[in-house]
Amino acid sequence: MNVHVSPPLAFPDRRPLLRAEGLKRGFKGRGGLLGRSHEVLALRGVDFALARGEAVGVVGESGCGKSTLARVLLHLTPATAGRVTFDGKDLGALPKRELRALRRRMQLVFQDPFASLDPRRPIGDQIADGILIHRLATREGAKEKVAALLAQVGLDPAHAGRLPHEFSGGQRQRIAIARALSTDPDVLVADEPVSALDVSVQAQVVNLLKDLRSRLGLGLIFISHDLHVVRHLCDRVVVMYLGRVVEEAPAAELFATPHHPYTQALLAATPSMHAVDDRREPLKGEMPSPANPPSGCAFRTRCPRALPACAEELPELLHAGPGRRLACPPVLAEIPEAPHA
Amino acid sequence: MKALFSPRFNQLALPGALLALIVLTVLAAPLLPLADPVKQMVNQRLAAPSPGHLLGQDEYGRDVLSRIIWGGRVSLTVSFLAAFCAGVIGTLLGLVGGYFRGIVELMSVRLAEVILCFPPMLLALLVVTLLGPGAVTLVLVLTILFTPAYARVAYAETLSARTLDYVTAQTALGATSSRVLFRTVLPNIAPPLLVQFSLTVAAAMMLESGLSFLGLGVVPPSPSWGLMIRAARSVMEQAPLLLLWPCLALAGTVLLLNVFCDRLRDVLDPRGAAVGVIPAFLRKSRAAALPQATTEPAPGLVRIDNLTLSLKTPAGPIKVVRNVSFGIAPGETVALVGESGSGKTLTALAVMGLLPPVITPVDGSIRFTRRDGTVSDLLQLPEADMRRLRGNDLSIVFQDPSSSLNPVHRCGKQVAEAILAHGGGSARKARDRVVELFRRVGLPDPARRANAFPHELSGGQKQRVMIAAAVANTPRLLIADEPTTALDVTVQAQILDLLAELKSGAETSGMGLLFVTHNLAVVRQIADRVVVMYAGEIVEEGPVGEVFAHPRHPYTAALLASAPESEAEELAAIPGTVPSPAALPPGCHFAPRCALSTQACATAHPDAVEVGPGRTARCIRPMEVA
Repeated sequence: MNVHVSPPLAFPDRRPLLRAEGLKRGFKGRGGLLGRSHEVLALRGVDFALARGEAVGVVGESGCGKSTLARVLLHLTPATAGRVTFDGKDLGALPKRELRALRRRMQLVFQDPFASLDPRRPIGDQIADGILIHRLATREGAKEKVAALLAQVGLDPAHAGRLPHEFSGGQRQRIAIARALSTDPDVLVADEPVSALDVSVQAQVVNLLKDLRSRLGLGLIFISHDLHVVRHLCDRVVVMYLGRVVEEAPAAELFATPHHPYTQALLAATPSMHAVDDRREPLKGEMPSPANPPSGCAFRTRCPRALPACAEELPELLHAGPGRRLACPPVLAEIPEAPHA
Repeated sequence: MKALFSPRFNQLALPGALLALIVLTVLAAPLLPLADPVKQMVNQRLAAPSPGHLLGQDEYGRDVLSRIIWGGRVSLTVSFLAAFCAGVIGTLLGLVGGYFRGIVELMSVRLAEVILCFPPMLLALLVVTLLGPGAVTLVLVLTILFTPAYARVAYAETLSARTLDYVTAQTALGATSSRVLFRTVLPNIAPPLLVQFSLTVAAAMMLESGLSFLGLGVVPPSPSWGLMIRAARSVMEQAPLLLLWPCLALAGTVLLLNVFCDRLRDVLDPRGAAVGVIPAFLRKSRAAALPQATTEPAPGLVRIDNLTLSLKTPAGPIKVVRNVSFGIAPGETVALVGESGSGKTLTALAVMGLLPPVITPVDGSIRFTRRDGTVSDLLQLPEADMRRLRGNDLSIVFQDPSSSLNPVHRCGKQVAEAILAHGGGSARKARDRVVELFRRVGLPDPARRANAFPHELSGGQKQRVMIAAAVANTPRLLIADEPTTALDVTVQAQILDLLAELKSGAETSGMGLLFVTHNLAVVRQIADRVVVMYAGEIVEEGPVGEVFAHPRHPYTAALLASAPESEAEELAAIPGTVPSPAALPPGCHFAPRCALSTQACATAHPDAVEVGPGRTARCIRPMEVA
């Protein structure tokens, strides 16, 4: 066993159903025509835990690694380092057959409902896939179950024989959710499930997810760049920046008192409908390329509070009050509950 | 299940029937009252067509018609069989190679590609020498030759399909690899393979003819089209028709097969083929159907009146934008808000004269006051005049900066082109101006950025370049079509600030801004006035503050309430979906989704009514909206 003591989790009293430690995921990058291939890290060491029935939001801007995290957590993309355990089983070490069987309990909803459904097969067949693959019912039983699932997500069961292009974006997202629910999963990973939808339909899908969660006791990992939606739907929020978690807190607290300068900037930049806010100075610049991350704290290049020390050491995610963790030494020093040096 | 003879299948009927006729004729050769194809009648060599021999007789006096039909048996069997075998083997190789990658790819696709290194004729000669000529050898040779082509197509298609969400979804459901490959990937990569099949059959026929022509294929005296062409060549001066018939049979069958496979691909695409586009030079003047131009001075900078746009579909024209009227004053920012399909982007494109060819304005006017004070109706302006206005008095910034910049030209050059296109002086002066503009839009190190290629810049920087190009000639009206939708929130905030700052700047003061977006919060931050569109019409218009505080149309009210910003436990979702423009509900188009709708809403289409100073709403009970 490693001597390294992992920092306390946000909900230490609840045994996590899904747990990830030190996740890293690299992709091959290439520099120029003759450039040597080098590894670009999309995840640079992420710890993550999800309790049974909990809803965790993962927020951050494009390129922060949140979608990669979704795929690595489901072992659709294997991690290059670190491990993911589901119900105590290490996904990377499981034999293929057992992994396939375990997939029944963890499902994925994609961002783009126009890409996530096979355009050539009736939606009923696609929803039935999961049921038949895991032999949860006979063909007849699967038909009934598909009808029930369609009704559950608010669609007409009589439409099971239609092709995806006969549905609108919001309806397709409901179909994708029905497909994910077909295997009675314990965890649903939703990767930006509403950002491709029309504004008037987004609320429907958010309400549906919320409703399903309370009815089925579903664990939810909700990946989004929309902070408002996350606040509405999640118990806990994880903020990512350039492949690392920078802050983690219960949703209400994160929005009330964001600690990390990046979280603060993200909140300030999110436009509000209620008033023209005399916004704080918008964050300068953009997220650095993951191919060439800054030394030390990756956010220091845009951080209004950056100190010379920030360039030295990779900040660790440390306890910052009940249920909260933060990776920013200057701010941690100001928090009374934080066990700073 | 769709009826087999729906209109889409009709287009298969003609080539299908003709192809079936050819195949049946050839198959039925032994049953048909044909002369013996190998029976020689030397005394009647090269005889002209006669009642007994409809297509005449060849150099040995054999019946040509009979030889063409019997020869077709060989040619068609060989080519179809070879194309089919190559198709199955090649598709399998490409499928597993593309899906599993790594060592499997090396073993399958790369190995198949080795065959491509041999000149096809050389390979054919080699096999024929080893096995001796004959139909079976031909099939073998052709299969070997065509397998790599299939493997490559299947490989490339699989590579792009394997990362698609619906393929990943199958894996996530726990499907085995073979299930994913054959149930999901294969049906979706089939269309290009079908095209490949038609090409292969055609090429196989050609090659079979070629090899037979060289004496390496079918052994005489058995007829084949290639052999017939070969034989006819030597007597083409005496009997040119002899050459014509086999060539006609070969070319006709190949063409027919190509048409059939193309149509089959279209039919198998569940989304249906796109409507054909008429090239610009064949298009009628786009203003043909419009009423006489009005060039009366309009108040403000732009005045759009009764703009109606029609979309051409196979089922007839659909009015996708109806009676849109609003204006923009100098220096004003007007936000055009709506969901996808509301017609907001089409309205903006109509102002720019950049409507796609399938959409034409059928009514209304867009009166625009130019820099020199003259007023012209943009819908009536000839394309040449429109081109002079675009990028000059009028300019636009699109949603996706990555696809609006040409990846092979340096950013500075692309902006300089916009300046030079409108007579911006020398190239050198344009260069200096670009650097100045880049500084103006907040690009760090502007001189270096001007030399950079688009891929060297981030998304936000690219959008700044696009904005620099748009304001290069100090436009009177800047149209921004979802300019921040593709950007992150922190970058979005920067771009919104930049646009606001540009408007207040001395150089571009008085510039009107038409901001097209679906994001209400962005509207709140940037606009003076808001125009809300739903299903192709304006449903509400007014000053931003007032509309947001007291919406007068239930749709606006519902949109505001459904935003996740509210603290409510359950979001106030709008039931139902945006109606398709082909099937608009009668009466008020929002009525089926409206919480306040009454019987009257479902019957009469409401007019826009004034609901306050500078405010209109298209609702019969505007004051009851909370």
